[in-house]
Amino acid sequence: MMKTKSDSQQQVPSQADLSRRSLVKGLALMFGGLLPASSLALAAQGYQGQADTLNRAGHLLSAKQLTLLKRLVDLIIPATDTPSAGALDVHGFIDNQLKHCFDKNSQNLFIAGLDKLERICRQMNGQAFSEVNTDAQVALLVAAEAGGKPCNVDDKAFFYQLKTLTLLGYYTSEVGATEELSYLAIPGGYRGDVPFAQVGKAWSLN
Amino acid sequence: MTTNIDNIPSSEIYDVIIVGSGITGGWAAKEFCEKGLKTLMVERGRPVEHRKDYIGEGVKTWQQPYRGKVAQNLVETQHHVQQQCYAFNDSTKHFFNNDQDYPYSTSEGTKFSWIRGNQLGGKSLLWHRQSYRWSDLDFEANSKDGFGTEWPIRYKDLEPWYDYVETHVGISGSKEGIPQLPDSQFIEAFEFNSVEKRIKENLEKIYDDRKLIMGRCAHLTKPAEHHVKQGRGPCMARNECQKGCSFGAYFSTQSSTLPAAQKTDNLTVATNSIVHSVIYDEKSKRATGVRVIDCETMATREYYGKIVFLCASTLGTTQIMLNSVSKTFPNGIANSSGVLGHYLTDHCYNAGATADIPGFEDEYYSGRRPTSLYIPRFQNILDKNPKFLRGYAFSGEAYREPWWEFNNKPGFGVDFKNNIKQGGGWKFRVHASGEMLPRYENSVKLHATKKDKWGIPQLHFNCGYSENEKSMMEHAAQSAAEMFKALGFKNIHAYTKDDPMGLVIHEMGTARMGLDPETSVLNGNNQCHDVANLFVTDGACMASSAWQNPSLTYMALTARACDFAVKELKAGRL
Repeated sequence: MMKTKSDSQQQVPSQADLSRRSLVKGLALMFGGLLPASSLALAAQGYQGQADTLNRAGHLLSAKQLTLLKRLVDLIIPATDTPSAGALDVHGFIDNQLKHCFDKNSQNLFIAGLDKLERICRQMNGQAFSEVNTDAQVALLVAAEAGGKPCNVDDKAFFYQLKTLTLLGYYTSEVGATEELSYLAIPGGYRGDVPFAQVGKAWSLN
Repeated sequence: MTTNIDNIPSSEIYDVIIVGSGITGGWAAKEFCEKGLKTLMVERGRPVEHRKDYIGEGVKTWQQPYRGKVAQNLVETQHHVQQQCYAFNDSTKHFFNNDQDYPYSTSEGTKFSWIRGNQLGGKSLLWHRQSYRWSDLDFEANSKDGFGTEWPIRYKDLEPWYDYVETHVGISGSKEGIPQLPDSQFIEAFEFNSVEKRIKENLEKIYDDRKLIMGRCAHLTKPAEHHVKQGRGPCMARNECQKGCSFGAYFSTQSSTLPAAQKTDNLTVATNSIVHSVIYDEKSKRATGVRVIDCETMATREYYGKIVFLCASTLGTTQIMLNSVSKTFPNGIANSSGVLGHYLTDHCYNAGATADIPGFEDEYYSGRRPTSLYIPRFQNILDKNPKFLRGYAFSGEAYREPWWEFNNKPGFGVDFKNNIKQGGGWKFRVHASGEMLPRYENSVKLHATKKDKWGIPQLHFNCGYSENEKSMMEHAAQSAAEMFKALGFKNIHAYTKDDPMGLVIHEMGTARMGLDPETSVLNGNNQCHDVANLFVTDGACMASSAWQNPSLTYMALTARACDFAVKELKAGRL
C-alpha cells in the first residue's frame, strides 16, 4: 500500500527532489511490504462511482431528484480539461453520503431543498429545472446562494450544504484529487519554498 | 511479546507492575526493563501491533466508504463523545474507545468530553506530538499566586531528564534561548514556508516581547543513528499521524519505547486486562499488586509486584485509585489527604483568529508539515496583567486555502473550479493554548450507583473553566487581532468559543504532587506519600498545568521516577 504512482512523485522536479524520490523509494521498499493488508479490505468498500444513475433511484433520492442533483453538481463543477462533477457521479456520492453520514433531519432538509428549488423554477419559468436554459439555471443558483429573491435563507442553507458536499465528492475522488489537483501520497518531507509554478496546481491535501 | 494472559502464573511476583501502555507506561516499561527489572505491563485494551494494525494508513480518500467521514449510526451508537475530537475520522476511529463501553456522568449544568484511546499504546498513537519543556515560571506559579499547592520540584530537577528522554525520542525544533521555554536537545526543525518567514521577521520587529518559532515536535526530521536502531525512519510529511505511522517517524509506544523494552526479555504484556483496583496490604503498608478483570471473559485475577506504577492516564489512574478501598484508605488508596480526584485541569484553547494575507500568489510549499508555528507565552512574565493570572501561547500557520475552504467563498462554475486549481489565497490562523488554574472544586469522584459493564463504578465529573480562563481567552482573541492588524493582514476574524473541558485532551492534576502529605497525594518523586511502593507518573501527578503541551514533561517525570524507584529498591527501602 505504500507504493505511489511514480508519475505523481514527479510534480516538483528539482535536484533535491531526485534524492528525495530515491529516499522515498528506498523507504517504500523497506516498509512497504509491512503495511497492513487489511487496508486493502477497507479500500474495497469505498463508494464506487456509477456509470449512469439517470432513471435510477438512489439510496435516499428518487430518480427525478438524482437527475436534478446531477445537473446542480455539474453547474457547480463543470467540465474543463477534467470531467464535471456529474461525470464523476458526485450526485450518486452525495446520495450515498446523505444516507449513511447524516441524521434524518439533515436528510429531510436536503431533500426539501432540492424539491423547493424545482418548485421555484416552475413558478418562475413554467418549466422544470432540467428544461430551462443554462442562464436561467445559473440565475436561480446565484439567487439561492445569496438567499435573495425568489429564494430565501432556507435555500441559502441548502445551497451551502450542496456546495460543501459537491466539493467533498469531487476533490476526494481519484480524478479530482490526482488529476484536477496535485497529489502526493508520500511527500517525503516538507519544503517551505516551492514556487507555485513548480507544483502547477493546488494540492488536494494541504 | 503479548503473553496470553491465562499463561501468566498468578503466583509470580514481578519486580514492577505498570498499569497502562501509553506515553508514560511505555517509558516506565523501557526504563525498568533496561535496568533489569522483571516487568509486567497491564493494558485494559486490545493489542495493537506496529504497522500491522494501522489499518487506516495508506488508504486513499476515494477508497474510503464515506471519504473519511464516519457513518452516522456508528457515531451515534459507539462514538458520540469521541467524535468531538479533531483527530477522529474513518481512518483513526479504531484507536478511540467505544463510548458505549465507557460511560461516565457529569453534574447538572456541567460538561466534560472524555477522549480516550484504550489499546496497547494508548493515546501515544493519537497524540499531537508537540513537545515543550517547562521552566521555573511554571514550577513557581502556584506558590506565587496561591492557586494550587507548591510544586516540590524545580526546573533543575527535571533538566537532565528532559535531556535524557529527548535524545531517545527525537525532538525537532530550533534553539531559541527563550527563558520561559528552555531549549530541548533538538534534531533539525521543520521549515517555515516563505510567507511565514516574512511574518516572523515582521512580527519580531514589531514586538520585542514575542517570537515566532517552529513548533517543537516528536518527529524524526533527520533521524540519528540511535533512532534508526530503534527501527524508525524519517518523517515523510504526510501529516496523517493518528492513522499510525509505519515509518515510525513520530514517537509512540509502538515505534519507540515498547521495542526497547522488548529487546531486554524482561517485559511481559497483559492486554485486555482491566485493572479494577490496587491491592493494599494493611500489615506491610504496601501495594502488593493489582486486581484485574479480563476485558473479554470478565474473569478476575490478581497480579503481584514489588512496585506498582500507575500510568493509566490521568483519569484512568484516578478511577483505579478511588476504587482501591481498604480499611486504611476507605476513600481510595493513598488518599489520606482527601485531594485525590480534585484539582482537575485541562488546557483552554477557546480563542483564536484567522485572516487573509494579501499577495504571494507565486509561492507555495510541498509536503504536509505535521507541526505548526508557535508564539511562546508573552503575558505575565515581566508585566502583570490586571485581568488574568498566568498565560497562553499561540499556535498557528500560514497556508493557501485548500478546496475544502471554498464552500465559504461565493460562486460556482468554471471560474470557481479554476480558482481552486490555481491555489487559494494565503491565510494565517492562530489559536491560543492557555493555562488553567488548579481549583479544588474541579473534580471527579466515583458515582454512587452507576457502574460500567465490568462492574467498575463510573467516574462522575464536576468541572468547568473559571473566569480566569475566560478573561484570558478574551485577551488572546484581542491580542491576536491586534497582531494581525499590525502585520497588515486583511479580513481579520478573532473569536472566542465555549468548548467544554476535555477536548484539549490535556487533563491533569487529580493525584497531585506536593510537599505536604496532608494536601497532596504524591511527593516530588511521583511516590505516594501514604504508600511508598506506589507511584503515579501520568498527568494525574501535575500540581498545575502550565501552558505548554504536557507529554514531554510526563516522559521526563516518568524516567526520573523509575530511576528513583530502582535506587530505592536496591537500597532495600521498597
